[in-house]
Amino acid sequence: MKHKRWSRTAAYLAVSISALVMIVPFAAALLNSLKTYKEYTSVPPKWIPAALQWSNYSRVLELGNFGQYTFNSLYVALLSVAGAVLSCSMVGYAFARLRFPLKSALFVMVLGTMMIPPVVIIIPHFIIFNKMHLLDTLTPLWVIEWLAQPFGIFLMRQAFMNIPKEYEESAKMEGCNPFQVYVRIFMPMVKPTIATLVIFTFMGKWNEILAPVIYLTSNAKYTLPIGILSLGGQWVGNEQLMVAAALISLIPILALFLFAEKYFVQNHANSGIK
Amino acid sequence: MEQTIERTGRAQEGGRPVPKRRGSSESRWGLIMVSPYLIHFVLFVAGPLGASLYFSFSDYDMLNPPRWSGLDNFARMGGDPLFWKALKNTLYFTVLFVPLQTLLALVLAVALNQKLRGLKWFRMAHFIPVISSWTVILYVADAIFNPRFGAANALLTRLGLDSQRWLQDEKLAIPLLVLIAVWKGIGYIMVIYLAGLQSVPGDLYEAAEMDGAGSYRKFRSITLPMISPTTFLVVVMSTITTFQAFEQIYVLTGRGDMSQAGGPNDSTMVLMLDLYREGFTFLRMGYASAIAWVLFMILFALTMLQLRVQKKWVHYD
Repeated sequence: MKHKRWSRTAAYLAVSISALVMIVPFAAALLNSLKTYKEYTSVPPKWIPAALQWSNYSRVLELGNFGQYTFNSLYVALLSVAGAVLSCSMVGYAFARLRFPLKSALFVMVLGTMMIPPVVIIIPHFIIFNKMHLLDTLTPLWVIEWLAQPFGIFLMRQAFMNIPKEYEESAKMEGCNPFQVYVRIFMPMVKPTIATLVIFTFMGKWNEILAPVIYLTSNAKYTLPIGILSLGGQWVGNEQLMVAAALISLIPILALFLFAEKYFVQNHANSGIK
Repeated sequence: MEQTIERTGRAQEGGRPVPKRRGSSESRWGLIMVSPYLIHFVLFVAGPLGASLYFSFSDYDMLNPPRWSGLDNFARMGGDPLFWKALKNTLYFTVLFVPLQTLLALVLAVALNQKLRGLKWFRMAHFIPVISSWTVILYVADAIFNPRFGAANALLTRLGLDSQRWLQDEKLAIPLLVLIAVWKGIGYIMVIYLAGLQSVPGDLYEAAEMDGAGSYRKFRSITLPMISPTTFLVVVMSTITTFQAFEQIYVLTGRGDMSQAGGPNDSTMVLMLDLYREGFTFLRMGYASAIAWVLFMILFALTMLQLRVQKKWVHYD
């Protein structure tokens, strides 16, 4: 018994130290974002600013293309979410509940696509979007989401497979076609999985850096993560503002996380069992 | 064949024959509803795979049509010191990162799994870096590791030690990148492990306790083997993503400037960054595709190796 208490204490200690290691750098960055430039760059560092410069945050919103980046990020993330929910649920439903020719071969293709590292297809993707004259537009960042990504298909298929047969039987009796059954009966029953898909897609797109770096060239088209980095050149002597800008870009994800923590964790926990 | 059996089986179950028209309309609807993925597969997977394989044997600058050049790209890779450096750095990064993150995440998950109070808060704290973009991480890491005014150097100076150049130091750059990446990703792996640990049946531990096993013994002989499938999955997944690491290196070493990324003096140049430069900066799409395929092949070989070795240490019941 004594032994058990010791191991619990050790566990608390380890986890608390680790949690501090996670949080303290964020707190330090938050303090940095509230300093004057002089305080921000002082050596030795001045931890706590003499007066909290909340105006740094309002200056970020006014300066440069920050508003435009925010709009672009929202535009890409929301269009991606809409596309992923519509396409993945529809494809996932077909794989889970309908019988059609070549179904298992097609599903093997879905699984196979999950194994292909993106690195071997990014160059052809770039060439396709170049041929379509869509470089330096936001389209390449969201359009593929409307064509059902394998992970989302898999997630939705699992959810639809767990629903008992009786539900579609009764709907079919009433003369609904499979598409109507999917929209009216099944979609409302998988809301938690849709929430997971929404969060997963939104976060992925909001934080994405590689695709925007590849596809976007003009500053007004930039999304937040690369837009903020590009402000470095314009804000020489005001670098503390970039810290504020970065933290502002974290707010939507953080808010989503605080409201719907279980969906974040659920999704990540599930990915371990796939 | 299988489909027919299934269909009759179901018809009997319901006690009434299935009308013929329903089956064919179900097939039609099935195909219509999977069509987004069919388009996806043809246009964005199969086509690109074929194209990039073809490009890797060609000279292609996007302005002129690709010209077949046989094995030129691969021969050139052999004599390209930057490619070798990128390959070496990628391996170094992966070899440091994957074991360190896996081990620390497991330790944390085991600690958290002891039904600690406030589990939710601890888990949340570890998830904040996971949900942050690399741009956010850059400014957070800067608070600690900025060579001029970061906390780490202030601490070293206070202790009377020399301050460091951190990410601007050729020797320190990769280990520090690994450390930051572990810090960012550990919460994600920890949650996967927590799910694995919760599926270990409790009576196994009770039986072991009856036999007088201590906590270390229980961990060694029950926990580790029972969660070895999770460990395997985590190791394979992290190897695949780490091998293709781009964003973290681009952001932390380049700070938005592609010409600076991979520095100082190419000491953090990794394969994805090399590939990006060859393809998108110098428009050598053929050569970049060849690098992509070599990267893919190495990854494939590594995964096969892991699949082979797993038989020795992964236990499925």
